[in-house]
Amino acid sequence: METVFSGFLQIFNIQTVLWIALGEILGIILGALPGLTATMGIALMLPISFQLSKATGMAMLLGVYCGAVSGASIPAILLGIPGNPNAIATIYDGKAMTDKGLAGQALGGAVVASFIGGITSLIILALFSPIIARFTLAFGPAEKASLALVGLTIIASVSSKNLAKGILTGTLGLSLSLFGTDPFSNAVRLPFREIFAKTPLTSGINLIPALIGLFGISQALFDLQRIKTGHIAPPQIKIEKIFPSFRKIASMWRLIIEASGIGTLIGAIPGTGASIAVFLSYERAKKITSSPRSKLEKVGTGCLEGVFTPEVANNACTGGALIPALTLGIPGDAATAVLLGALLIKGVVPGYRLFTEEMSLVYAIFFALLLSNIFMLIFQLMGVRLFPKVLNVPVAILLPAILVLSLVGSYAIQGQAIIAATFDMGVALGLGILGYFLKKADYPIAPIVLGLILGGMLEENFRRAVKLAEGNYFVFFTKPIAIVFIALAVFSVALPFLKKKK
Amino acid sequence: MGKRGVLVCGLVLLVAFFTFAAGQDEGVWPDPEKTITIVVPYSAGGGTDTAIRPVVEEMKKYSEAIIIVSNISGAGSSKGTNEVLSLPADGYTLLASGTHTVSATMQGLTDGYKQLDGIGSLNWDPFIIAVLKSQPWKSMKDLVEDAKKNPGKISLGNAGMGGATGVASVAMNLAFGKAFNVTPFQGGQDLRANVLGGHCDVGIFSQSEILANQDMLNPLVILYHEHSALDELKHVPTLNEAGFENLKVPGGSFKSISVRKGTPEAAKKQLAEIVKKAYHSQAYQSFMKEKGLLPPPDYYELTELDGYFDELVGAFTPIMKAAGLLKE
Repeated sequence: METVFSGFLQIFNIQTVLWIALGEILGIILGALPGLTATMGIALMLPISFQLSKATGMAMLLGVYCGAVSGASIPAILLGIPGNPNAIATIYDGKAMTDKGLAGQALGGAVVASFIGGITSLIILALFSPIIARFTLAFGPAEKASLALVGLTIIASVSSKNLAKGILTGTLGLSLSLFGTDPFSNAVRLPFREIFAKTPLTSGINLIPALIGLFGISQALFDLQRIKTGHIAPPQIKIEKIFPSFRKIASMWRLIIEASGIGTLIGAIPGTGASIAVFLSYERAKKITSSPRSKLEKVGTGCLEGVFTPEVANNACTGGALIPALTLGIPGDAATAVLLGALLIKGVVPGYRLFTEEMSLVYAIFFALLLSNIFMLIFQLMGVRLFPKVLNVPVAILLPAILVLSLVGSYAIQGQAIIAATFDMGVALGLGILGYFLKKADYPIAPIVLGLILGGMLEENFRRAVKLAEGNYFVFFTKPIAIVFIALAVFSVALPFLKKKK
Repeated sequence: MGKRGVLVCGLVLLVAFFTFAAGQDEGVWPDPEKTITIVVPYSAGGGTDTAIRPVVEEMKKYSEAIIIVSNISGAGSSKGTNEVLSLPADGYTLLASGTHTVSATMQGLTDGYKQLDGIGSLNWDPFIIAVLKSQPWKSMKDLVEDAKKNPGKISLGNAGMGGATGVASVAMNLAFGKAFNVTPFQGGQDLRANVLGGHCDVGIFSQSEILANQDMLNPLVILYHEHSALDELKHVPTLNEAGFENLKVPGGSFKSISVRKGTPEAAKKQLAEIVKKAYHSQAYQSFMKEKGLLPPPDYYELTELDGYFDELVGAFTPIMKAAGLLKE
């Protein structure tokens, strides 16, 4: 009890509270700008955290973390461009709501959802982290490869109309994930090897410039063409009833529970990440709401449910990613890896020693996370009426601004690495043009992104599992968790066909 | 303005053009308006990053120019290294170099150490071989005997073939007649999760990684020639004590700071002075002590560091060759 109180005091003092607020605002701004991520925000504030006490420094960084994860939903909803990978699944219903004139409701819903996700995962983190940490250790290469397989089946649901086209672009994404170096031998694996062997492309295609290109640049090019043909009208904005009613939230209880669970768990498994969690929870929401008995609106049509679910899931990932980070010293994602680094530099060894020697710091982290989530709710709600004003900007100005911001964002990811950053701009432009033509030909874009995200995870873990099993390819059928995932994947692919036959 | 006026203006502009086009002098280094960037070729929060950042904090105290850390991770450590090599050799871009640079260069991923000049040495982070406490092996001898009896059955994980743990694991395996199933993971944290989860039998770790999971891991041997400087790990036997006197493996990861070849001597000298002061500062020395980071036999700066790199290259070459990783 004494440690709880001491943890409380470390956070609830004016200085720390102000630092959290500052971190939060910075995080929301960074998250909302395409290309800037939570990881980058935390790394940016790292030198400042050295000057603060352990608890205050961590609290400020946690503020950045929470803010950036939820801020990403703003451009996703208003412009259909995910600010960072956390918001990939928010763009579908979010953008559709904006087009219907419901931008305010979508933003308000996203904020409330982020808060619910953040708080639920914090409760799970505070109460069950040792158990969940042990459970995540059960995820070895075989389990992760099968999880990636389940992820790939989502291609079917994000391909909208034409499954064949979705599979085609999905495999294109998978092939793009092979670019770079072989994860086992480090041999260069690129076309035109002689030219590219010593360029930044050796580390593969970065996800974020790819996202910016495929969603941001391609959409801007597409809209430019529509301006020329005169088919574009700015969406009307009706900002009333921004907050979802309590009844509406209560009616979504199942979506919230599932999304919090998926988010916390996927966030807690190292080497997976929020981008997979949001897709999985979106897929679940689609299944649940499309059942004939469901009274909810159908996800995918531009409804609150479709924004709420991924936003619960991505903020649930924050608490989830901290579970293995604090209990085992193994970060759940790239952002928590930097948080761990901050602790290490301050002389704190996360893991066993943190829980035996510095329990008050653990409680301080919990309180900081609680406060971060509260600030996130307050600041974002203050902005909800403000952000949609972006849409009042004339298209002739907005589109070039989006293009410029997209390129700046792609450049900014690698910060001072001038050469690598320039290559990232090239990747964003190249994929933007590819995306434009695919859109024109009515091919879905999301499967490419899924392929890019899951390709590396699938390949590496598949090969590693087989290597650890001394070359036995059937190793996947000897592990219970892997069997469950494979069955799930097969089932979700086969089900629509079985239903049709009936 | 008459014709003459126009002519005079034109002439003035012409002179102005040539004055500026001729370029400024090299000037004094460092230009306090410029920023010195230290490229860490690994992501923020990793072992190299956490060893470099505190020394950078100290360097700031001795430098007029602003100093920042930039993490450029990817392709082993070669992406960040190549970035440094493609920027001007003006002393404003530094690289967190070390054993990772040596192995990435040997694998043909970068021109690495061949194109770098040393500024100052930092420290060694010794490697420790560890297994889960629930595993049957209680000493390195047990483990090696069992592996030799069942070749290929026991998996030995490293944090990636490109880095120093990769080279160390391959070297060990060669010394034991390829008795282990050497498997690369995606970084040290991935390896640790897999050893803790029982998916991989044996792992090569840094000291802070062992401390994070003291309750679950059993450290068998430290690959360094001396004991750990940390109280919790002092008891871990060295290779000699464990009965492997003849085993020669790279026993840890070494970190240093370098610049691109061709950097003006004056800039290098000043940088070396800054790094040296920062390294010897009380704050960094006590950080090293706290983390169990060990100093190299001597403090090396400038060409001394280049010489130390040559020694490392000499030690790595036969291992990389035998492992089939050497590409010239």
